[in-house]
Amino acid sequence: MANLNAGNGKSGAILVVGGGIAGVTCAIEAAEAGFEAVLVEKAAYLGGHVAAFHRYFPKLCPPPCGLEINFRRIRNNPRVTVYTLAEIESLKGSPGNYEAVIRIAPRFVTSACTLCGECERVCPVEIPDAFNSGMTKTKAIRLPHRMAFPAQYVVERSACPEGCRLCADACRYNAIGLAQQETWKTLRVASVVLATGWEPYDAAKIDNLGFGQFSNVVTNVMLERLAAPDGPTRGKILRPSDGKPPRAVAFVQCAGSRDRNHLPYCSGVCCTASLKQAAYIRSQYPEAKITMFYIDLRTPGQLEEFAAKTIAANGVELIKGKVGKVQEQPGSRDLLVSAEDVLKGRKIAREYDLVVLAVGIVPQTGGLPAGVNLDEFGFAADGNPGVYAAGCVKRPAEVAVSIRDATGAALKAIECVAGRAHHG
Amino acid sequence: MADALTIQPDLEFIREVTENSGGDLKKCMQCATCSAVCSLSTESRPFPRQQVLKAQWGMSEQLTGDPAIWLCHDCGDCTARCPRGARPSAVMDALRMAAIRRLAFPRFMGSMIGRRENGAIMFLFSALLLLSVAKLPAFHTAARPLIFADMFPVSRLEMFFYIVSAFVVLVLAISAARFIKELRSAGARGAILPSLLPALIEIFLHRRFAGCEAGKVRRWGHLGVLFGFIGLATASTVLGVEMHLGWMVTPMPLLYPLKMIANLCAVVFAVGVSILIWNRLADREKRVGSSFCDWYFLSLLGGIGLTGILSETLRLAQSPDWMYSIYYIHLSLVLTLFLSTPYSKFVHFLYRTIAMAATWQESKSTGRVQLAAGGPDAALPEGPGLPHAIGMRS
Repeated sequence: MANLNAGNGKSGAILVVGGGIAGVTCAIEAAEAGFEAVLVEKAAYLGGHVAAFHRYFPKLCPPPCGLEINFRRIRNNPRVTVYTLAEIESLKGSPGNYEAVIRIAPRFVTSACTLCGECERVCPVEIPDAFNSGMTKTKAIRLPHRMAFPAQYVVERSACPEGCRLCADACRYNAIGLAQQETWKTLRVASVVLATGWEPYDAAKIDNLGFGQFSNVVTNVMLERLAAPDGPTRGKILRPSDGKPPRAVAFVQCAGSRDRNHLPYCSGVCCTASLKQAAYIRSQYPEAKITMFYIDLRTPGQLEEFAAKTIAANGVELIKGKVGKVQEQPGSRDLLVSAEDVLKGRKIAREYDLVVLAVGIVPQTGGLPAGVNLDEFGFAADGNPGVYAAGCVKRPAEVAVSIRDATGAALKAIECVAGRAHHG
Repeated sequence: MADALTIQPDLEFIREVTENSGGDLKKCMQCATCSAVCSLSTESRPFPRQQVLKAQWGMSEQLTGDPAIWLCHDCGDCTARCPRGARPSAVMDALRMAAIRRLAFPRFMGSMIGRRENGAIMFLFSALLLLSVAKLPAFHTAARPLIFADMFPVSRLEMFFYIVSAFVVLVLAISAARFIKELRSAGARGAILPSLLPALIEIFLHRRFAGCEAGKVRRWGHLGVLFGFIGLATASTVLGVEMHLGWMVTPMPLLYPLKMIANLCAVVFAVGVSILIWNRLADREKRVGSSFCDWYFLSLLGGIGLTGILSETLRLAQSPDWMYSIYYIHLSLVLTLFLSTPYSKFVHFLYRTIAMAATWQESKSTGRVQLAAGGPDAALPEGPGLPHAIGMRS
């Protein structure tokens, strides 16, 4: 792999912050065009949220496929350097000539790891599994998820009991180093792409919709895991409260979005995402009732076609009217959903046994270097020459749009590198 | 909505509602969160989204006779949840003011509502009018014990208030008749008289206040004001009649039963008003705000309670310097309340009672909101000849 350590005066490298679908795309596109790319990812694995999705629209193919292809491109390309568990600590300089300091947290597991799993069996600590939105537990030493790249275990050291060495003692390959310390690296790069992505809006803040209070109210992000074959229910969509198949499912659109009390902007993808998820439910439960409560059905561009087909093919009942209240029926744990059916001019309260909140997209800007401009909604704004934003940190977008955006950002970054070559 | 609907927007109405709601009607995007979070709106009569829509389109005639604007108890739950800051509860408040204005008799008096200067004019007018029955400057030479009759002889004062009351009752009767006519033409066809008793029981129990998310404290305040006021009004009417018939002479001894009831009612009333004022200042202002109309009515009630209790205290203290002037202010405030009854928030007692009675049957037959398991609901009849959504079909 390329050596990009400080002092390499010839470096025309591109630093990509964030290893989700946008960051991975940007790094590999730049590398395949012949430029050095450094990919810095905060988590222990690449792929971000897309790695946790069951399917993505409009073709409803499984994301691991697309990610797998990208990971292979990265593995085979010597011009991409990947740092996981790494964050930008500082960024200084000007277009063509940046100095970035990255802090790399210890993984406590070396590349000698063979994924034998012996350590996991002896580990005495369980922690909520973030990959499954906390719906399952995992050991403190674990493979982040089945398809994780890099395929290497990692230790959540803060959860370890004091003095515990059970995993290290159990490892036959001497791959566990519990004494590892964090390290710093200084990189010389010519341009930077920010692709730190998004996180789902905290649904518990929308207190009238019952998330966090009633177990059968889940978010759209959780439903992806419930539908995924490697998820907590092995791909069978079941009610969290009793593990029973749902008979009536309500999708609550704009859960937080288009609301000045929460997110004032439209998150853009949730209407299509809910229709996609309605298709998951229909494929498992031909008899289930599926209702989508919406303000406006926003499926722009070619997604209009996807929406029309999905609604017709899956018998999705559409009710125009935002849900105002979700209440739990004691005993059955079913949910009472209140809304006004705007087109009928009637107020309704319906019982469902599973409610899916279509929560919106919040830009993840915590990992951005200081000095990056944010727009009025907190998304990374353009206007920093040499530093370009791509994907959901810039605006809410679906996977396909993020990929196109990342490719565009790669070109901008390449132009910056080339400019340096010309002028410097 | 197969029939074509011609809308002639009442632009003056739109301007008036916009101004009085202190907001911007255009902010509403018709998401219907408001109707869904409202605990009082019913299956067949959801509000306030439809009312905000009609206000946006300037449909003043439909709104003047719309019972829903009175079924709303102004708790502000909708405004607190509104995703756009469109303040639906304030729009409903402005719609009630607009209805009061349009139903007022004589019509020109309707313009008094919500105008700051008119509130002051009404008070000055009342104060001057009272001088016509005052004995001036009799109280300077009055013999002890000092009594209020030194300034306002009972026979004159009682007769004066009989005339004022008769006038107010007549005006209210005309306003009520107008309102019922508007209700009927707007499609609220429920029989009023047979439902009056259950509606009144509901009002006396304040059940609907209890439904509001933010209404727990407010319910007790409003109950105190309602029962304190009814008690005081009844006690003073009984007293007035008895004095007129010569059965009773004021001031009554403190331990006289009627006096004790009246004093108790005064305390209940004052506590109620205090709760309402405190609630508005402490909680409501932060959440949804208040209009001038709210504060005018509430300060009138507060002023009456305060000056009433002060008058009695000062009379017991036999303070010639203060008791007459405070009593004079008290009577002026009472007269202001009487005279502005049909043209202030006070008249909500009349319109809300009628609106609740007129919609009593439908609210009982359809229930608050009927439950239906997920799936297309049974064919519901279309609402009374109004668009539920204009140009909103996506």
